Amino acid sequence: MVELKQQHSKPTPIVPEKSVSGRTLMLLIAIMTFLCAVTLGGVILIQKSALAWSQDVGREVTIQISPVEGELMDANLRLAETIAEATKGVANARALSIEESEDLLKPWLGEGLDLTELNIPRLIIVRLSDPANADLETLENELKIIKGASLDRHDVWRTQLNSMAGTIVFSGVLGLVLIILATLLATVFATRGAMATNREIVDVLHFIGASNRFVAKEFQGRFLKIGFRGALIGAIFALIFFVLMGALSSNILPNSSSEQVSILFGTFSLGIIGIFWILMLVPIIAGLTAFTSRMTVRRFLSQIAW
Amino acid sequence: MIEFENVGLRYGDGPEVLKDVSFSIEPGSFHFLTGPSGSGKTSLLRLLLLSLKPSSGTMSMFGEDITNLKRERLLELRRHIGIVFQEFRLLEHLSTFENVALPLRVLGQSEENYKDNVTELLEWVGLGDRMHAKPALLSGGEKQRAAIARAVIARPEILLADEPTGNVDPALSERLLHLFAELNRMGTTIIVATHELNMLKKFDYPCLQLTENGELNYG
Ligand SMILES: Nc1ncnc2c1ncn2[C@@H]1O[C@H](COP(=O)(O)OP(=O)(O)OP(=O)(O)O)[C@@H](O)[C@H]1O
Ligand SMILES: [Mg+2]
Repeated sequence: MVELKQQHSKPTPIVPEKSVSGRTLMLLIAIMTFLCAVTLGGVILIQKSALAWSQDVGREVTIQISPVEGELMDANLRLAETIAEATKGVANARALSIEESEDLLKPWLGEGLDLTELNIPRLIIVRLSDPANADLETLENELKIIKGASLDRHDVWRTQLNSMAGTIVFSGVLGLVLIILATLLATVFATRGAMATNREIVDVLHFIGASNRFVAKEFQGRFLKIGFRGALIGAIFALIFFVLMGALSSNILPNSSSEQVSILFGTFSLGIIGIFWILMLVPIIAGLTAFTSRMTVRRFLSQIAW
Repeated sequence: MIEFENVGLRYGDGPEVLKDVSFSIEPGSFHFLTGPSGSGKTSLLRLLLLSLKPSSGTMSMFGEDITNLKRERLLELRRHIGIVFQEFRLLEHLSTFENVALPLRVLGQSEENYKDNVTELLEWVGLGDRMHAKPALLSGGEKQRAAIARAVIARPEILLADEPTGNVDPALSERLLHLFAELNRMGTTIIVATHELNMLKKFDYPCLQLTENGELNYG
């Protein structure tokens, strides 16, 4: 039994397992992966939230009717409601009463104002049952018969939201690329350091006839391991971070602010896709680390004189 | 098998360490290499190991002119050469067994394949019970024998040994030389650098003699 175990035990790696620079590099890769994962998670959350916002906003359009000389506001409001409700994909349409409009404006204009005296535009909230297939073109055309009526699809707002989300996603991806680049540069230095520290091993291997490929493979194997472990640790901590933040936002924060946070970040739920991408960082970063160190080793070996 | 013609060697732009060295060595022969300390024995062995390039002259090994050798080919040629370094150069983090097995590992053999061979050789050099010890725990003589075992495990055609008896008592050093003689009888070409003159007297092999200023005498 003991004999068997001895025979099948793996030989000691030729490049020492516990070299100091290896552990430092592993820590560095763990931290960098954590940063990558948090950035990536943030980007995913923001994109998801932006999508959700944009959908919520898309569930409503507003008809605005400005007062025009000689037109009867109330009749026009009724007419607009009827037109809207007859449109495909609309659930219902309801004009805001003067009181409701007053309530809306109160924070801006102060108490005790009387809108009957002011000629302010009136609003009709049109709720869509099927935003994707709502025939808003027809609605817009038909509203032309009412003087002073216009349709606000919240397009400007949505465009702004989308471009903001786009900017954040772009910055996030840029950050991601830079973090990975920094990790690779650190890997180059660590590999060079490891080669220099283990120069005696490289020389001895060469003296007994090991090819550059053999030597490179030994080192690359070490760095693949370091990269994989570091990246795994970083990714796991990042997932823990997101779970904690999710718990924090729903439990510890008072209800109202928790609501705000969840409006902003969609309750920190990354979803399966988010978790998948964070875990995908592990093989990606490990692979890139191994590849970089292989290139560095090759260069180092090719520079050794005859 | 080995041809040197007017080989000169200098380190960087230092003085010439070896001057105008010419000799040839037949396959299956046994040579001593002697000379005072600093005369260039180690340097000559490094030339033979292809770890230094001659600064002048020509040399060929295994019938190949080595001046224009590609590095990968050079590494291949080294697999036919076993070397015992003056300072042993065992890898500290590997056990004696693994150090000795290293050349076979480099050749791509698996442990199952070489385990018996390595164990047998270690027993033959008297290290059977030190197999799993790291070099740091070995005595000078034990390291020496481990280094020799590593040099011969892959059955090289040429064995180079730099002061292989420098760290051991006369009895053991004689045993080690008998070991070399045994390998030589089995066909290995052997060059042993030493400055132990009584060894030269005991074993009747030809001798390459380096002078203080790096010239070579055959004798
Ligand atoms: N790497 C090196 N760089 C510069 N000079 C060197 C180097 N190695 C050896 N030398 C010089 O070359 C000369 C020959 O050294 P070498 O080690 O070949 O002598 P040796 O005969 O092996 O000596 P010993 O018997 O003490 O081992 C010495 O003068 C030494 O100072
Ligand atoms: Mg020497």
